[in-house]
Order: sequence, then structure tokens, then C-alpha cells
Amino acid sequence: MILFSIVLAFLAILGAPLFAVIAASAMLGFYGQDSDLMIMAIEIQSIASMPFLAAIPLFTFAGYLLSESNAPKRLVRLTGAMFGWMPGGLALVCLAACAFFTAFTGASGVTIIALGAILYPALKEDGYGDKFNLGLVTSAGSLGLLFAPSLPLILYGVVAKVSIDQLFLAGILPGLLMLIMLAGYSLWVNRHIRKPISSFSLKDVGAALRESLWELPLPIVVLGGIYSGFFAVSEAAAITALYVVIVEVFILREIPLRKLPQIMRSSMVLVGGILIILGVSVASTSYMIDADIPQRLFEVVENLVSSPTTFLILLLLFLLILGAMLDIFSAIVLVVPLILPIAAGYNINEAHLGIVFLAAMQLGYLTPPVGLNLFIASYRFEKPIMHVYSATFPFLIILMLSVILITFFPQLSLFFLSE
Amino acid sequence: MKLQPLLNRLDKAGAAAETAMLVSMLTVMMLVAVGQILMREAFGTGFGWADELVRLMVLWLALVGSIAACRENRHIRIDALSHILPDGAVKLIRLLVDIFATAVCAVIAVQAWRYLQIEIEYGDTVLVNTPAWMAHSIMPVAFFLIAYRFLIDVLKQAGAIFFGRTAE
Repeated sequence: MILFSIVLAFLAILGAPLFAVIAASAMLGFYGQDSDLMIMAIEIQSIASMPFLAAIPLFTFAGYLLSESNAPKRLVRLTGAMFGWMPGGLALVCLAACAFFTAFTGASGVTIIALGAILYPALKEDGYGDKFNLGLVTSAGSLGLLFAPSLPLILYGVVAKVSIDQLFLAGILPGLLMLIMLAGYSLWVNRHIRKPISSFSLKDVGAALRESLWELPLPIVVLGGIYSGFFAVSEAAAITALYVVIVEVFILREIPLRKLPQIMRSSMVLVGGILIILGVSVASTSYMIDADIPQRLFEVVENLVSSPTTFLILLLLFLLILGAMLDIFSAIVLVVPLILPIAAGYNINEAHLGIVFLAAMQLGYLTPPVGLNLFIASYRFEKPIMHVYSATFPFLIILMLSVILITFFPQLSLFFLSE
Repeated sequence: MKLQPLLNRLDKAGAAAETAMLVSMLTVMMLVAVGQILMREAFGTGFGWADELVRLMVLWLALVGSIAACRENRHIRIDALSHILPDGAVKLIRLLVDIFATAVCAVIAVQAWRYLQIEIEYGDTVLVNTPAWMAHSIMPVAFFLIAYRFLIDVLKQAGAIFFGRTAE
């Protein structure tokens, strides 16, 4: 049994598709318990009985569609008109626009491709250092992860059975903290750049607002609808997707109808890749619960760790290593069911746990060996991977500090939660 | 060889079928979900089956999307070694892990097929009175096709490595 597990771990590191590795480990477990392997089919099929899951394909599709339209350009122009007058304003524009865009498109690297391509040359033109720009764009590419309606937040809610509305509230202050810390660092590094992009003018703001007129209702409908309890998250997702199709394809006509099938297909390829991992992880989790593994894990941890603070320190270390190895989606579906009962044993709020989990995983986008943003940026901007990594390093340190603050000050995530 | 053009045509037809299914399911899903909200807000009622239909469509989208992900080589992997190892080693490793993936998916396909037989026998229903096995028939089909896609990749890579043929 242990030998098989080692072989499977080895295959995963060699690059076997993760869903196949997880499925194989679940089947080995069931086989060892003399369960009929038919249970695999039943477990995977349970994707069809999870509430709110429809939000994932719908938001992903809406995000892909937005990134193919001129919405990223309009977003940059609007944030530019609003913050561009500040010294070092373009760096702030970059952070704010990326955070907003990532929240809406899920953290799949789309941000770096859609926004980075506009911002990276613009930053250079304004006299920012190349290394700073590269680091900024790369790390901003996953910045909005903690803001509604990002896919990882929804997936955590589904897996941990935590109310998604509560998670959306819990993410606000921790997400802002990350944003503010990175903004402060950017302003400090570029304090010699006195030149603002433009002076503030109401006329420019007005023009930019008018240009984005059609996209402006989106955050209001989605966030207002969800926070007010008017829609469930999956309903907000359906409205968003349909609205984006109508606006970008039929009203603004930025995406020709014949391109729509291809965009749908590529967004669903991403969704298929995530949800199949969710399906097989349901199987492996239910095997582990049968085998009492979370309980045994808790007993081991309980013997080693007495205080919640020590537990959080260990958890954070574990998550940082995990994030360097696994992508955020696989990590959520595989690991959350295991640590949830342990964290409950230390009285850690499950919404807080979710925010800590995602915030720590966000660093994984920027750490080798598998940091997705590093590879996307290296590919997109044609820079060697080590160069991207060293450019990103100072930002990584700042983010690491913010994750530590988020972890040990649960007040940040719990501030808006009543109870 | 006659087999090659046939396989290529099968490939193209397969890709088109996936796209057609994904497009139609995603569209129906959007319309049904939004229609449900309109019904609720305007008339205070809704379709009893709408919620279940949307959930079943998530399953279908996930599985058909997975088949498409295979074709485009977009399944999530820990992609660390391919950046540091030489090309030849990467290809051999790829061959090995894809053989493994083929086997795993084939086993799941067989299990899903067995489970489908039981569902047919029991006559469970979903969506008012549609037989459950119809709604779940995508399970064995999808895993069979995923296994098939991995197998094709294995054969192509083996051809490239051992016979020096270029995999398209």
C-alpha cells in the first residue's frame, strides 16, 4: 500500500495528469477495503448533486469572453483616469485593474495575458524600470483571488460547504490589505518618478466612464445581487454570462458571433480540467473519511501541537510548500477536506481558514518549480524564467508578509461576518 | 497507410462534436438559469426540473470539457520537469505517464459502464421521468473517450520515439 502511494506520488511529480493520479489513489484505497470499484462512478457522478457548482462554468465563460473583448483596455483607461494623477499612478492602475479583472476571470493566468500585454509596455514608456514592471505585472496577475466572485473562492465554498456569500465578505479586507501593501511598495520603489501620467480631469473620468458604460453594471449586479441575498451565486453567474454575451457580441460587436463557439470551447476545456479533479477528489475524500484518516491525522497533530497559533504557523508552512507544488484548484479539492476537521479542532473559523488557504496558495503562483504566473509571464514577455523569478521576488516577499498578517489577524477576514 | 487519414477525419469530427455539445449545453444552461430567475421574480413560480437540469449539465460540461482538454493537452499536471530535463527524457517520461493515465481512465470507464447497467435495471428517474441512466450515460462514454485520447497520444509518442516519426 505504502509502496503504491510512493509510486503514485512519483508519477504525479513526473507529470501524470493529476486527476488520473487522484483517481488511482482512490481506487487503490477502495480496493484495499474490498469495496466494489463501481463506487468510483457514483462518486464522480456526484458533481451533478453539488449546489452552486454551475457558477464555475458560467463565470469562467464570462471571464474568457471579457478578456477577448476590448473590456481590458477600457478597464485600464478607466482606472488610469481615476488614479493616474497620483505620482507612481500607473503602478497603482496596474494593481487595481489586475485585481478587479482576476476576480472576474478566475485565477487562470488570463489576467497576465489580457492586461499585462497593455500595461507592461505602458509602464516602460512611463519610465519605470524593466525589472520592476515585469515583477509587478507577474505578481498582479493573481491579485484579485480573494475578491468575489473568483473561482477559487467559489470552489472552496463548495468543497468546505461554507456559505459562499460569507466567503465573499471574508475576502474583502484581506484582499485590500494585499493590494495596499503592494501599492505602498510600488510607490516607495518609484518615489523618484514624480511624473504622474496625467493631471486629474473630470472630463477624462467622464469619458472613460461613458466608454465603459456597458460593463459598469456588471460589478453592481454581481456583487450587489450576491451580497444583498437577491441571487444565489450560480444565478449571478448565469446573469453575468448572458449579459456579457449580449453586450460584447450583440451590442458592442467586439466579438464576432462566429468566434463564440471557440471561446466557449476553450473556457470549458479549463472547466473540464478543474471539475474532473473535483470529481475524483470527492472519491478519494470519501475513501479517506471511510478509513478515518482525517481523525487520525487530527490525533497526530493534536499530540504535536497544543496552541492554535502553533497550528497556524505549521499550517502556513505546509500551505506554502503545497502551493509551490500544486495548482490552487487541485489543492483546494484535495487538501481542504483533510485540514478542515483539524482546523475545527483548534476553533479556527472555516471562512478564515478559507481565506488563509487561498492567500497562501496565491503565493504558489509566483514560486518555482510550478508557479503558473512565472511561466505565463516568461512566455508572454519572452524573458527567461529565472529573470522573471528574480524580478518577482520582492513582490513575493511583500505578499508573504501580507499572508502572515492575514493568517494571524483573523479579525481581517471576520470583520464583515455577523455572528 | 490507409488508417492515418481515417483517424484524422475521426479526430476532426470528434473535435467538432465536442464543440457543438459544449456550445449548446452552455447556452441552454445560461438560458434556463436566467429564465428561472425571471419566472421567480415575475410570476413567483419556477420549473421544478430547472435546477436539476442545470446540475446535470454541469456534469456533462465537466466531462465533455475533459475530453476536449485531453485533445488540447490541457489537463492539469505538475509541470516542473519539462523545463529542466532534456527533450528526449521529457518525451519518454510523457510516454510513461500517459500509459498510466490511459489505464486509469479505462478502469473508470468499465466501472461506470457496470454502474450504468445497474441504473438501467433499477429504473431510477431524474428530471420528472427521464431514466437516470440516460442522464448518466455520459460517464462511461466520456471516460472511454478520454482513455482513447490518451492512448492515441501514447501511440503517437511511441512512434516518434522508437520509429523517428514526427508526431504531427
